[in-house]
Amino acid sequence: MKVFQLLDKFIMKLEEFILSFSIILISIMIVGNVIAREIFNSGAFYFAYEVSKFAIVIATFIGISYAARKGRHISMSAFYDFAPFKVRKIMMIIINFVTAIVMFVMAYFTFNFVMFEYETGAITTSLEVPRYFMSVIIPIGFISAGIQFLRNTFINFTKKAKDKVYLGIDAVDYNDEEKKDIKMEDISI
Amino acid sequence: GGGEEEGTDEGNSGEDSGSEGGEEASGEFEEQSWQFVTEELKGEVQYEYAAEFAKRINEKSGGAITVEPLEYGALGSEVDQAQLLQQGGVQLAVMSPGFTGGQVPDGQIFSLHYFFPSDQEKVQEVLTNSEALNTDLRAKYEEHSISPLAFWTEGAMAWTSNVGIESPSDWEGLNMRVQESPLMRETYDAYGATVQSLSWSELYTALDRETVDAQENPLFFIESASFHEVQDSITISHHNNYVAMTTVNTEWYNGLDDNVKQLVDETVAEMQDWVFDEQKAQNEAGLEAIKADEENPTEIIELTDEQIAEFKKAAEPVHEYYKNEVEGIDPAIYDKLKEEIAAVEGE
Amino acid sequence: MLTTLLSIMIVLLLLNFPMMIPLIIAPVIIMLIYNPNLSMDLLMKQLLTGIESPVLLCVPLFIFAADIMTSGKTSQRLLDFIGAFVGHIRGGYAVTTAAACTLFGAISGSTQATVVAIGRPMREKLLKIGYRDSSAIALIINSSDVALLVPPSIGMIIYALAAGSGVSVGDLFIAGIIPGIMVFLAFAIYSVIYAKVKNIPLAEKVSWPDRFKFFRKALLPLGFPVIIVGGIYMGYFTPVEASGISVLYAIILEVLVYKTIPWKKLPSIALSTGLVTSAVFILVAGGQLFTWVLGYARIPQQITEAVLGSDPSAMYVLLIVSIFFFVGCMFVDPIVVILILTPIFVPAAETAGVDLIHLGIIVTFQAALGSATPPFGVDIFTASAVFKKPYLEVIRSTPPFIVILLVIGALLILFPQLSLALI
Ligand code: NA
Ligand code: NA
Repeated sequence: MKVFQLLDKFIMKLEEFILSFSIILISIMIVGNVIAREIFNSGAFYFAYEVSKFAIVIATFIGISYAARKGRHISMSAFYDFAPFKVRKIMMIIINFVTAIVMFVMAYFTFNFVMFEYETGAITTSLEVPRYFMSVIIPIGFISAGIQFLRNTFINFTKKAKDKVYLGIDAVDYNDEEKKDIKMEDISI
Repeated sequence: GGGEEEGTDEGNSGEDSGSEGGEEASGEFEEQSWQFVTEELKGEVQYEYAAEFAKRINEKSGGAITVEPLEYGALGSEVDQAQLLQQGGVQLAVMSPGFTGGQVPDGQIFSLHYFFPSDQEKVQEVLTNSEALNTDLRAKYEEHSISPLAFWTEGAMAWTSNVGIESPSDWEGLNMRVQESPLMRETYDAYGATVQSLSWSELYTALDRETVDAQENPLFFIESASFHEVQDSITISHHNNYVAMTTVNTEWYNGLDDNVKQLVDETVAEMQDWVFDEQKAQNEAGLEAIKADEENPTEIIELTDEQIAEFKKAAEPVHEYYKNEVEGIDPAIYDKLKEEIAAVEGE
Repeated sequence: MLTTLLSIMIVLLLLNFPMMIPLIIAPVIIMLIYNPNLSMDLLMKQLLTGIESPVLLCVPLFIFAADIMTSGKTSQRLLDFIGAFVGHIRGGYAVTTAAACTLFGAISGSTQATVVAIGRPMREKLLKIGYRDSSAIALIINSSDVALLVPPSIGMIIYALAAGSGVSVGDLFIAGIIPGIMVFLAFAIYSVIYAKVKNIPLAEKVSWPDRFKFFRKALLPLGFPVIIVGGIYMGYFTPVEASGISVLYAIILEVLVYKTIPWKKLPSIALSTGLVTSAVFILVAGGQLFTWVLGYARIPQQITEAVLGSDPSAMYVLLIVSIFFFVGCMFVDPIVVILILTPIFVPAAETAGVDLIHLGIIVTFQAALGSATPPFGVDIFTASAVFKKPYLEVIRSTPPFIVILLVIGALLILFPQLSLALI
């Protein structure tokens, strides 16, 4: 069990590093390119856009599972927020489970796509590296997201979720944190 | 290759009407409908090519075969279109050799400067008859399920700038907008310029504000994109050509009945002259329109033979670089094509 | 079939499924049912196509710059400066809020960041002087939306990307200036009237030496919009590169000059930016799947013909566009709505003779309006989360603002010059 926790922590730290580093890398690339061009009249940052492209793809797909863990995926929660505790709990279980399945299906489809890109042997225009270097991150992202959404599902069955709804394993439903007390007739101009 | 990712998603609304009964001659041909995707919009060379091809095939097959020409954007980006063709999602496509997503590095041979003849008729002659292209390069594409049935020019590339480029030294310190690659870096480095990738939607403004200093395109394109409004000069430089390929999905093509295959081949062959005249007319009209635009005066610089010789001298070492250094290319195709070009130029 | 699918998407959306799920499921099902012979690889490729456009790089960078400034003192300096000059007039704090949101919007390009950076400190001040919480929040939400209209604007950059065909982001930025100022002025006038009617007490007047002090302190942040717009105009950088420059400027200000943020805190700020970026970009990728499938099935043409007829007038196109974007953004993230709907309407708009810059302003404006409109506008949920206030409390006082914005929206349609005069 200890090993499992350590592994979990390691993966989370790794995801955090990748997300943070990607953003910093993009900043350096774009600013570096402007400075090289405008001040030194140089094309030294010729790889700026291609490296940034890699970074944004990696951040996007690695971020799916991190955002799932933190309960930060964009959703339309208006009705959910009004639902009573039990309904919200059931909804979260179903949502996370179905989402996990969709993630695994996408992992399968995108894995095939990576194999396709691998077989074409296509290379990128600027750095001339194989293009599948970039796409390979997509199924990896979907698989880890699928696992994460499964964990989000199961945590809602555990003892510590007795009086809480978990949006993600690191995110307790904000609706349980503050009692709200407002009625329809309060709406006025 | 210097294709452009222009265009809107303006699709083509007509559903194919290939199912109605064939006319008198249709006995020979089975009813079928094909899709023919292009990288340009209605009115531009590639789309008009597809439309004319569609018309001829339809007539010759007695109405049995319907070809639907598609504008750029209907099915995604150029790279998407290439992939769609590879997978048989469409049967035919006009594509630029450079937009196969790096699968055929040899496609870069068309972007070499001062490698092809300056005279467009001779360019078209090489493209039409070259064995290096129509057999050897075709085989390279066929490894990826793309069969180029013909190569043709959409016109010579011209440089636009505010400095009036007349000799290699005029490039010193300029920022050239071109699809960034090691070969393009080397090419413009030979003139003392740097290259900068820039998305199509930002190009007009970037030229206007001098974020980049120069770009290249055929004349008809410069006019339709209004680049002359924000550039002081156009250099008719003959440095290379906007080459397009008529391509088909290889497995689909190989599976065609012999008479259909023959129909396609013969139509593609006879289109070579048609498209040459079409691009010539469009490029001349473009140039006339630019000259006639008094609100935005633009200096037209036609390089003399001596000036071209000077550029050629600067560009030739890059040919060697291409042959020896560029990742994944076949030097044998280069050598053979060079000989073929020399033969045409020596005529 | 298509209606069934659309209904399923809407139900999933309303059930609080992550927005990426309907955007992924629908195109995959359409492919499996309608084009089973076509390889799924083509569709999967769109996940990359959707997010690899260099134009989109501005999204994480503008958010990063805004996150840095939100963690630092930039917004406070802007607030002190504006407050020193207008805080004492009737409704002064409310006017200050609107002005500060406009200015911060002119720096950050991000609505959400503006809610946090300006909204948090101003809400406390507004409450202290006697505003109802719901009024304060409504003012903050709607003023923050001006961030989409005044340059730089993520919404405009996304629109330019989706419209294709060389729509200039620089021109869009400049076109947004007058509409942005109109919205600010309308909110300021409303604030003054509201304060008079509700008899909100006056704040103390600030002395001229103090005003000068606050002005000096705000000088560097105020230089920000000048550098961004000026730099684009002078050609030092493209609008996308401007987002990188704003990161640089934010770091110079907060880390080097004010020293409010230590270097080693930047990675954790970047992490929060990365998290938001991922959540948004997976929607952009999913949106591209959806757009591509629609395009392959030629559905956009059918939609435009069905709702616009064969030969619509420019006004009619703009009206329909307004309705679609307004309603769309009430439900779905504006970035996704702009990416999906823009390519559908641009061809029809061009045929009807609508200037694509004008169209861009209408689209951006309606996206801002829709995302602040109940029942589901995303800004409402942002505010609900940021201020830890229940949904109903957040929306209670929004109607007057929505009415004001609807009127301005109509003016923008009727008078294209409001958008095009400065270009
Ligand atoms: Na000119
Ligand atoms: Na803004």
